[in-house]
Amino acid sequence: MSNDTQTPRDGVPEMLGRLAWQLAWGFARIFSIVALLAVWEILARTGTFTPFQLPALSAVLERIWSDAVSGDLAINAGLTLYRALTGFAICAVLGIAIGMAMSRNAVANWFFDPIVSVGFPMPKIAFLPVVILWLGVYDTAKITMIVVDAIFPVIAATVIAIQGVERELIWSARNMGASKRELLHQVILPAASPQIMTGLQVSLPLCLIVAVVAEMLMGGYGLGGAMITAAQFANSTSVFAGIVEIAVIGYVLIKIMVLIRRRLLLWHPEANAPATA
Amino acid sequence: MQEPAQIVVDHISHLYRPPRGREVLALDAVSLEVRRSEFIALLGPSGCGKSTLLYLIGGFLPVEKGDIRIDGKAVAGPGPDRGIVFQHFALFPWKTVRGNVLYGLERQGMPKAEREKRAMEYIELVGLHGFEDSYPSQLSGGMKQRAAIARTLAFDPKILLMDEPFGALDAQTRGLMQMELLRIWQRTPKTVIFVTHDVQEAVLLSDRVAVMTARPGRIKTIVDTKFDKNDPDIFKNKFFVEKVDEIWNLVKDEAIKAQGKRSA
Repeated sequence: MSNDTQTPRDGVPEMLGRLAWQLAWGFARIFSIVALLAVWEILARTGTFTPFQLPALSAVLERIWSDAVSGDLAINAGLTLYRALTGFAICAVLGIAIGMAMSRNAVANWFFDPIVSVGFPMPKIAFLPVVILWLGVYDTAKITMIVVDAIFPVIAATVIAIQGVERELIWSARNMGASKRELLHQVILPAASPQIMTGLQVSLPLCLIVAVVAEMLMGGYGLGGAMITAAQFANSTSVFAGIVEIAVIGYVLIKIMVLIRRRLLLWHPEANAPATA
Repeated sequence: MQEPAQIVVDHISHLYRPPRGREVLALDAVSLEVRRSEFIALLGPSGCGKSTLLYLIGGFLPVEKGDIRIDGKAVAGPGPDRGIVFQHFALFPWKTVRGNVLYGLERQGMPKAEREKRAMEYIELVGLHGFEDSYPSQLSGGMKQRAAIARTLAFDPKILLMDEPFGALDAQTRGLMQMELLRIWQRTPKTVIFVTHDVQEAVLLSDRVAVMTARPGRIKTIVDTKFDKNDPDIFKNKFFVEKVDEIWNLVKDEAIKAQGKRSA
């Protein structure tokens, strides 16, 4: 924020200097990734591994490019994203609603609390055969699997966030004439929003992970399905292409969430704090 | 006592029930009368139930035993006739200073133009002009408390309940805020109940000081501390010095008792 108020002197040398500094800083922040990719390329090229064990990064990037040109990438990535984001939307709405009900209503708490306690730590992927049995192997089944897995962090974060809202904040609002109804959306939800947002930030990558795993296990289109198909044809370049694509999509999604968080929580002290890469 | 008291606290007892552990008698048959436009301080060691008494008068805690009446009417829940200011400000952090001050006015259904004007008036009254669009997280402790005071004064409560409002501030800021509060109170006289454990603060600000005992809280004595608060050399004022000394001696025993209970 404070950088906006500084007026930089605008000569060409200063601009070039700033650009060089930004480039160097940008590179330094991603140095470990670049190093890892370089080692990958070197190991593949020097023949330490066979192309089947480890295809070269350059070959993988070429494959991604050709998939992008043919339209396969758009279909597979689009389907995976569609499932992950639909699942995420359901997790967000349903998770916050259940969390709110649990903190406001003793019956809802009595009903859901044991389910959350048992369900949160258990590996929900174990339900996969049941979900296939009941719902088949198409989008409904995959999205159900995502919701079952990724809703728990949202519920837990909402319950804890609402419990943590200061008594004085609620009293202040009551003092100024807020009704019980107004209290919920005008005071309790905004006050709880930073922690609820954290729950959503935990849930989103889970949605992507489960989307890919469900696709791998149920087959069909989508990045996970395409990787399993490629593996069955011993096409390791396409398998690695899938890994890189998933990594990039995951990174971009998380970055977008951070941006949304900053936008929504402009008032929060953290909005002025530096973020991690 | 020609006029009947505005606030009547009649034999109030209150049990504090911690989530775990035994219940504690926080207040034991406390009675108190406060006249209109009077500034009264509730003074006592920490844990004596003085904040609890304030919350009961505010209607934030349910009255279980005894009776609290405001202008003859029993207290049932919070209301905008009694405005509260908390030690830790309790500002809405997602609203700007202006948004915080406007909140109460919106709840009362004041027309937009009028409430905007009113909000700015009170923001200026507490000396926060130029900070109306700042979020609480961007303000210092003293400024936050000014904002909270503006927010409470803006909806024009008849009674001001202040719960150690300057307790979280550094010594210099506290001194300035005390002067400021006196100035504001002299301009807009309201009935004020001011909870504090600071003897000087109590004598400096109030007309009467109700000294409370260590737990269970009772009113030990009420000391008259009305004098000219505009004296520029107030801290050397003979009356001030005597009253501080007198009240300190009253409260000292209770503070020692409270300490003993804590370590026991």
